[in-house]
Amino acid sequence: MPSPEPRPSRLAAAEGAGFLLVALLGLGFQAWLPTVLPKDGDERAVADVLQREAEPGDVVLLHPWWTERARLFLPEGLPVVGYLGDETDALLEHPRIWVLAQPSLPRTPASAFAAAFLPGRTRLGEERHFGPLSLSLYRNGRARGVRFSAAEALPTARVTLAVPGSEPVPCVQDGSTFRCLSGAHAEAGIHEVFYQPVRCLFVVPPGGPGAVELTFEGVPASAALRLEAGIAWEHAWKRGGGLTPLHASLLDADTGAPLAALSVEPGTEGFVAAEVPGGPRRLRLRVQSDNAHEREACLVLRALDAGGTP
Amino acid sequence: MSRAPLRTDRRIALGLFLGAFAVLFATEAAVGFVRDESVYFAAAEQAVRWLRYLLQSPVRGLSDAVTTQAFDFNHEHPVGMKLLFGLSFQLFHETLGLLRPATAFRLPALAMAAAIPAVLHAWGSVLYGRKAGLFAALCFLAAPRHFFHAHLACFDMPVAAAWLFVVYAFWRAETDEGWWLWTGLLWGAALATKHNALFLPPVLLPFVVLRAYRASTGKPAARELALKALLLLAATAGLLCLLLLLLTPEGFVQSWAFLSPQTVLVAFLAVGLLVLGVRLRKTDVATFRAVAPLGAMLLLGPAILYAVWPWLWYHPVDRFAAYLEFHATHVHYAWTYLGTVLREPPFPLSYVLVVTALTLPISLVAPMSVGLLSLGVRSIAAWRPAWRARVTPASASEALVGLNALASIVLISFPDVPHFGGVKHWLPSMPFLALLAGRQVQLAGEGLAAWLRPRLRRLPATAVTPLLGGVLLLPAVTLTAHVHPYGTSAYGELAGGIPGAASLGMQRQYWSNNVTGVLPWLNAHAPRGARIWLHEVVSFHDYQRNGMLREDLRQAAGPADADIAVVQYHQEFREQELAVWQAFGTTRPVTGLYIDETPQVVVYQRR
Repeated sequence: MPSPEPRPSRLAAAEGAGFLLVALLGLGFQAWLPTVLPKDGDERAVADVLQREAEPGDVVLLHPWWTERARLFLPEGLPVVGYLGDETDALLEHPRIWVLAQPSLPRTPASAFAAAFLPGRTRLGEERHFGPLSLSLYRNGRARGVRFSAAEALPTARVTLAVPGSEPVPCVQDGSTFRCLSGAHAEAGIHEVFYQPVRCLFVVPPGGPGAVELTFEGVPASAALRLEAGIAWEHAWKRGGGLTPLHASLLDADTGAPLAALSVEPGTEGFVAAEVPGGPRRLRLRVQSDNAHEREACLVLRALDAGGTP
Repeated sequence: MSRAPLRTDRRIALGLFLGAFAVLFATEAAVGFVRDESVYFAAAEQAVRWLRYLLQSPVRGLSDAVTTQAFDFNHEHPVGMKLLFGLSFQLFHETLGLLRPATAFRLPALAMAAAIPAVLHAWGSVLYGRKAGLFAALCFLAAPRHFFHAHLACFDMPVAAAWLFVVYAFWRAETDEGWWLWTGLLWGAALATKHNALFLPPVLLPFVVLRAYRASTGKPAARELALKALLLLAATAGLLCLLLLLLTPEGFVQSWAFLSPQTVLVAFLAVGLLVLGVRLRKTDVATFRAVAPLGAMLLLGPAILYAVWPWLWYHPVDRFAAYLEFHATHVHYAWTYLGTVLREPPFPLSYVLVVTALTLPISLVAPMSVGLLSLGVRSIAAWRPAWRARVTPASASEALVGLNALASIVLISFPDVPHFGGVKHWLPSMPFLALLAGRQVQLAGEGLAAWLRPRLRRLPATAVTPLLGGVLLLPAVTLTAHVHPYGTSAYGELAGGIPGAASLGMQRQYWSNNVTGVLPWLNAHAPRGARIWLHEVVSFHDYQRNGMLREDLRQAAGPADADIAVVQYHQEFREQELAVWQAFGTTRPVTGLYIDETPQVVVYQRR
């Protein structure tokens, strides 16, 4: 026996009309969505433009960040950046940025992207459209010339295990990896720091008071030395459980004078950074954590020119 | 008055069952294996091997050592559904050779899922009317994620079905002879399906008390007996809790022996309930029907769970305690929600409601939420005389539906409860929300028909509600068809569809199953004998066994020893895709599964 129900009322009629409207809106949305999705031809047309017009040092920034299907089509040598939060990336190694956008996609507010991306950037030329894709070229005012990158210089570096009270023990070069006693090691590679893919020095410290020390010779003169340190991948968010801070120190290798010191506390996602005036030609990077467990460091050390022109 | 559906509605329910089963069966082959499903395949096969061994060597087969060996694997879930999966596999694949292994395993789960629309119609047609029942039945299965989970040899949809069956039987038991017994039997089956069923008695208890109070009004002898039964239950529970506190959980479990206070208390409860039940049945049938479902649940449920789960046979207390502890202290897997990877509690209180709203098609969200809201208002009206003139107060039956619509949602909303797995964890709420949606659509349709009648005289009044229901179902059906077989990637219009959800920073997919989107490419392009790394997929050999992946392809352990890497997009796994870039020397995939532009599965080939 059905429950007693009220007689049909105007309210019920309005509810029915409302439901009908909602359903039609739903259908409308589903019919509209495919019209804002790019076809392969659109992607190829963008790739052709970039093949012709991209210059060394250029980068492609995806908006929204997750539209990585473009990777299937874009020229191999051209870096593509797309990660959660990439609109705030200075992209300081890249004097020009191609923004490949899909502005009509749902929940893609242009204003939020523009607020984070545009400061310091100037558009060069007109925005071009390829179906629902738009391509715009920007001069990156946040770019800076990179004179030295520790990740690239690692093969020529001297890597040692430094333990207080004893002589440093050289780490053995095994291909592209320097292997030290007690499981510590250092290598250059692409790693994730708070979702950002970064080519960095990947260093696993030995634990205890000992440290991995990397000494770089012949660092070119530059306006600044910039050191960034983060914990790679999913270990960054963890706290407690005996985890200890990761310490990364930059020293003048000739005098032993400290230039910069960073501490990445457990639970810190992303990079902590320090920038100091350039100068020393021999640099030593020291990486230590009392407990090495899940303290896999991603370190970016670069010698940079002064800030670029906006 | 009986709450049995009319003959026509029983036929409609049967048609719904057969139709749903046929649709699920026809669409099953494309659905990939979710990560845990391969584990259940193996556990089901092992259960059947044990049954075969039992026929050969009954004495040894029943021993502690053999039952432990046979059922220790995957003992975090009861064996009820796994036994059915295994028997179906044995019959339809091994013996008859009619079905591929995965389909044979999945058959019982398909049947359980197909029974949900049937029961929803049987219930909805009596509670609200035929059109309401029909809409409830169809809208449940039309939801993309429900449709996806309905295919799997897992326990989420079966326990949603079992939960519905128990509550339906409980509802019928108030008026119909024999249904109290079905309530107990079905709860036993639910317990043997998944641990969610443990939460059913507290949800049903208030209704038992209310029913007993109403039924025994003016019947002092019946009331006294009902009260004694409830007091016996409360006293036993209280004493067991006291022992638990005094002995600590470990001591409570360890000291529970054949002759121990715990056993005496449980035995006293069982005998007491039986005696009181027999006396109550003789005294007053209506009051008996009020309390008997709960009594049957408490007496039969644990017995059925014990009987069908050989892992418990020789160590019932400590193994059941271990089973509970596993779920009480379940690991928290990473899960992406509104741009944040949730990794540890406390989780956002709004999570369940937001995810429900974003994953369902908006044309189902609307009637479900209006139905729930309306029930809330009408439940208040039931207690406030001043409101009764304005709105129809909710009946106890509707309150039963409403509380069950909220129960699993509220349970998973607790900030400390694991939140990975998304909607599948509160699936038991969804059939009840579908019932409320059915009522709301029927009412709205009738209202619309009444308003249209003087304006469109040629429009048959009876056609308005079906038309409205059909239009409401259409966006759900089209979204389901569009996203199938990748149902865990589905998002509704409120999210902005699948791309909108990606921009919102929502979980892109579950683990493993979407890899089917690139298997045809692998079969066509992978070099002979190539080593393939299927990231986060434990089903490599299941795909080969079911003819979905070439036999010559070999499983790689990671990017370092792979020729081809198949990476699943999960926010928390980004590092693993970068490991592929590093190992393969490229950032350019060769192909992938992209749904509405969103990367789901990305394939890289070593250069």
